[in-house]
Amino acid sequence: MRSSFPEKIIISGGASMSKVLSILLVCLMILGVSFSTVSAQISIPREDTVYCIGAIWGPPTTWNPYAPQATWGTDPFLFMPLFYYSNAKDAWLPGVGETYKVVNKTTLQVKIRDLAKWSDGKPITAEDVEFTFNTTKKFGFGPGAGWYDYIASVKAISDKVVEFKIRTDKPNYFSFMGYSLGTRVMPKHVYEDLEKKGQNIRDWANNDPAKQVVSGPYKLFFQDPNNVIYERLDNWWGKDVFGLPKPKYIAHIVYKDNASANLAFEKGDADWAGTFIPEVYALWEKKGLPIRTWFKSKPYYMPDGIGFLYISYQNPILKDPNIRKAIAYAIPYADMLEKAYFNYGSQAHPSMVIDLFDVYKQWIDYTWARTTWKSEDGRIKTNLDTANKILDTAGYKRGRDGIRVTKDGKRLGPYTISVPYGWTDWMMMCEMIAKNLQTIGIDVKTEFPDYSVWADRMTKGTFDFIISWSAGPGYDHPWNVYRFVLDHRLSKPFGEETWAGDWVRYNNPEVATILDKVASTLSPVEKKSLYSRLQRIVYRDLPAIPVFYAAHWYTFNETRWVGWPREENPWWYPPSPWSANNFPVLFGIAKKGETPKVPTWLATRDKGGYLIPTSQIWNDFMRAK
Amino acid sequence: MKSYALKPFLKYISRKFIFLLVTYFIAITIVFILPRAIPGNPLSTLLRQIFQQGQANPELIRSVHKTLMEEFGLGKPWYEQYIDFVTRAFRGDFGTSISSYPKKTLELIIPVMPWTLMLLIPSIITAWIIGNTLGAIAGYKRGSFTDRFTLNFSLIVSQIPYYWLGMLLIFTLSVKLHIFPGQGGYSQGTIPTFTLKFILDMLYHYILPFLSIVISALGGWAIGTRVLVIYELDADYVNFGELLGLKEKTVFRYIFRNSILPQVTGLALSLGGALGGALITEIIFNYPGTGYLLFRALSTLDYPLIQGIFIILIGSIYLANFFVDFLYALIDPRIRLGQSEGS
Repeated sequence: MRSSFPEKIIISGGASMSKVLSILLVCLMILGVSFSTVSAQISIPREDTVYCIGAIWGPPTTWNPYAPQATWGTDPFLFMPLFYYSNAKDAWLPGVGETYKVVNKTTLQVKIRDLAKWSDGKPITAEDVEFTFNTTKKFGFGPGAGWYDYIASVKAISDKVVEFKIRTDKPNYFSFMGYSLGTRVMPKHVYEDLEKKGQNIRDWANNDPAKQVVSGPYKLFFQDPNNVIYERLDNWWGKDVFGLPKPKYIAHIVYKDNASANLAFEKGDADWAGTFIPEVYALWEKKGLPIRTWFKSKPYYMPDGIGFLYISYQNPILKDPNIRKAIAYAIPYADMLEKAYFNYGSQAHPSMVIDLFDVYKQWIDYTWARTTWKSEDGRIKTNLDTANKILDTAGYKRGRDGIRVTKDGKRLGPYTISVPYGWTDWMMMCEMIAKNLQTIGIDVKTEFPDYSVWADRMTKGTFDFIISWSAGPGYDHPWNVYRFVLDHRLSKPFGEETWAGDWVRYNNPEVATILDKVASTLSPVEKKSLYSRLQRIVYRDLPAIPVFYAAHWYTFNETRWVGWPREENPWWYPPSPWSANNFPVLFGIAKKGETPKVPTWLATRDKGGYLIPTSQIWNDFMRAK
Repeated sequence: MKSYALKPFLKYISRKFIFLLVTYFIAITIVFILPRAIPGNPLSTLLRQIFQQGQANPELIRSVHKTLMEEFGLGKPWYEQYIDFVTRAFRGDFGTSISSYPKKTLELIIPVMPWTLMLLIPSIITAWIIGNTLGAIAGYKRGSFTDRFTLNFSLIVSQIPYYWLGMLLIFTLSVKLHIFPGQGGYSQGTIPTFTLKFILDMLYHYILPFLSIVISALGGWAIGTRVLVIYELDADYVNFGELLGLKEKTVFRYIFRNSILPQVTGLALSLGGALGGALITEIIFNYPGTGYLLFRALSTLDYPLIQGIFIILIGSIYLANFFVDFLYALIDPRIRLGQSEGS
C-alpha cells in the first residue's frame, strides 16, 4: 500500500492531522457515553467479601434454572431444595423442607417449613413444589429434569405438605428419594406472571437484582462479563432457623485460566478455590501461606469421582477380556499418581466403589476382590510380568518389533490413548500408560486433540483408549457408577452421540437386570449381594478400568476468612465453591480475628441438630407397608 | 469538485461498493464454514459443566442435550443452518450464543467493544505519532547517531512479537516489581462507574497493555517513515527550498507533511482492524475486549458468537478499506481520471 502510493500529492499535513484528531474525539465521546450508562455503584468492602475462583470461566448467563444453563451461584445461594445431601455424612439437611413422612412403600410426604418465604414476602408452599416439577416436565428441562422416569406424581395435599408417589412399573428408590428430596423449589407466582406476559421462560435471564425473587440467603448484587457478586439478604426468612451466613458478599471474578486464577488466590485476592493447583502443598510447606486443602498431607483432596481408563468395544481385538486384564495389570497406578497427579488422589478400587468414604465400604465384596486380584485390599498391583503372562497364555505372540499379534496374525495396534490437550495431569498419565503398554507388546500412542474433538469421540465411542470421568459419591453410590459405566440402555450405536453413559458400548443384559433390582430393593442385604454379583461381572469383563479417585478441588486461604471445613474438623462436605450443596459452609466460617462456630444444626436429630441419615429414610421405607 | 469529474468518480465508487458487497458475502460464508470444519461439538463444554457440578445423572444430561440440540438447530442439515444464518445476518440478528445462552451474540459483543476501542485507538494513534516523528527525524538526519539509534531500535522492537513483549512487561513490572497490575481492565471488586476513582483505577490497569501495543507498533511506523523521508530528500522542492536558504525546520516540515501521506492510509487501515482487538494482547492481560471474547468463543466452539464477532470485524475492516478508497479518489485526481480514461 505504501509503496504504490503516488508520491506527489500535496495536501496540507495540518488538515489530515485535524481529521485524525476529530475522529479520535468522536471515539472518546462514544466511550464516555457507553460508560456513563453503567449504573453508579460503589465498590464492595474486601473484608466483608468471600472471593471464589474456579466456578465460572466465561461471562455469566442467567439466574434462571429453567434456562439450559444458570450461572454459578443460582443453585447454592439463590434457590434452596427441600433437603441438601452431604456425601461424607451420608445425611440430609432440611432446607425449605422441615420433615418427611413415609406414608407407605410408594408414598413420601414432605412438610415445608412454616417460616419459609420468598424474598418478596410470599410464603413458600407445596404449590410451588408441584409447579416446579410440572414446569420441568413441560419444558423437558429445569430443576429435577428427568423426574418423570421415577416419580408417578407430585401433589400439594395441603398448603405446606407435598406428596410424592413412586412409579411402581419400574420402582427406583435411589432416584425417587434423590428427586423428591433434593430438587430445588421455584417461585410459582413469578413464573406464572412471566407466562402471562408472554415471556418465554427458557430465555428469561432473571438478571435484574431488584426483581429477583429467591428462597436462599443471597441474591444477585452485580454482574458484568467479568464479575458476579451476590449480596446477603439480612432479612432472610431462614435467619431464625439457620442464622445468617457470615459473608456479606460472595464474589467471583472470571479469570482467563487456572494459572491466573491460582495466582490471585495465592496473593490472597481470593479465599475459596475450586481449581486444580499444581503442587498445592508448596503453598504452606514452602511459602508458609495460610492456605490449606482438606488433608494437610497426601492425598490433600477428598475424592469426587472415579477416573476410568475406558477401552472402546469398537475394535474387535480389544474386546478380549484377556487383553483388558493385562492392561489393568500394566497401568502404573502408584507411579502415575505420584508423578502426574501430585498424589492428589489414590488408586481406585477395581470394584468401582469409592472406598475412601466409610459409608460405601459395605458395598465392596472384599473377599472376592482379594481372591481375584491377590492383594490385601483387593486393589490391582502393577505387575508387567503378570500382564505379559496373561497375554502369552492367551496366545498373543510377539512380532519382530516386539508388538504382539493375534492368532490370525493381526497386530495389537497402533492404537491411541487420548485426553484433551492442556489437561496436563491426565496427559502425563496417558504417556505413562502408553509406555507400559508398549512394554507388554501393545502398540499404543498418545494423542491430545482439542477438548471438543476429544469429547466428540468419547461420546460416539469412536476411540481406542481414553481417560475420563464417571459418576461420583452420592446417596445412590455405587449404583450410579455401575449404571453410568455399564448400562447399555444409556448407550447408542458407535458413531452416535450419547452423553448419558456407557461410552465404551458394553452390552450385557444381565447387568441391566441387576441394576434395576438394586434400585428397587430396600433390603441392604439383598443390595449387597447384587453389588457382589456386579463386581464379579466387572472383574471378569473389565468393561472399563477404574484408575484413580479424581479430586474434589477445594482449597481455602485463611488470610481473611477462617474456620473452613477440613479433615480435622469435617463439619460439612462437599465444600467446594462450585458444588451445588455447599450451602452450610458459609454459616460456619468467620472473619479473621473472630472465632468460627460450626452451626449446631449440623448435628443429627438425636444430638439436637437437623441432619437425617440416609439410612433412617431407608429404614422408614422398609418398615412401611 | 468539478462536474466533469463527478460521473467517473461515482462509477469508481459504485464499482468499489459492489465489490465490497460481494467479498463481504464470500467472507461471511467462510465464517460460517470454518468453525463447523473444526471437529467437535459446541455443546461439549456446556455438558461437561453439568458433570463438574456433581449433578451427573443420565436423565438430566440427556434432557439438557436434547433441549440444546433443538434450541441451536444443531441437528439440522448444514444447508438449512446456512440459509437460516444468512437470512438472519441480513436482518442484523447474529443468533444466540451457545456458551452464554440465552444471550444474543450482539448483547455480548457490544459491551466489550468500548474496551477494545479504548485500548487500541489511543495506542495505535500514539504509536503512529511517536513512530512517524522518530522515523522522520531519523530520515532527515540520515547517517547521524540519532538515525542509527532509531533504526536499530525500531528494527529490534518491530520484530519482537507483541505478545512476548506483553508477557515480559507483566513478568517484570507486575509479577516481580509489583508496580502495575498484571491483568484485568480494572481492580477486582470495583464496578465500572463514571467516577474519578474508577477512571483512575482503569487507567492504572491500562498502562501495561497500552505500552505493549505502542512499543511493538511504533518500530514499524518509524522504519516506514524514515524510508519515505529519505526518498523525499531528493525531491526538487527540497533542493529548491534549501537553495532558497529556508530554515532547516521549515524544510523538515515540508518533507514530513509529504512523506506522511501513505502512513495516514496505513493508520486508517489499522484503526479499521482495531475492533478485532489485539487478540493475544487482550488474552495475556485478561483485558475484557472483543479479542478476549473471540478467544473464549473459539475455545468453546460457540458458532454463533464466532460468526457474530467476525461479521462485525470483517465489516469494519471493509468499511475502513472502502473509506480509504474513497479518500484516494478524493485526493488523487489520477484515480478519477484513470477511471474515466479506462471507460
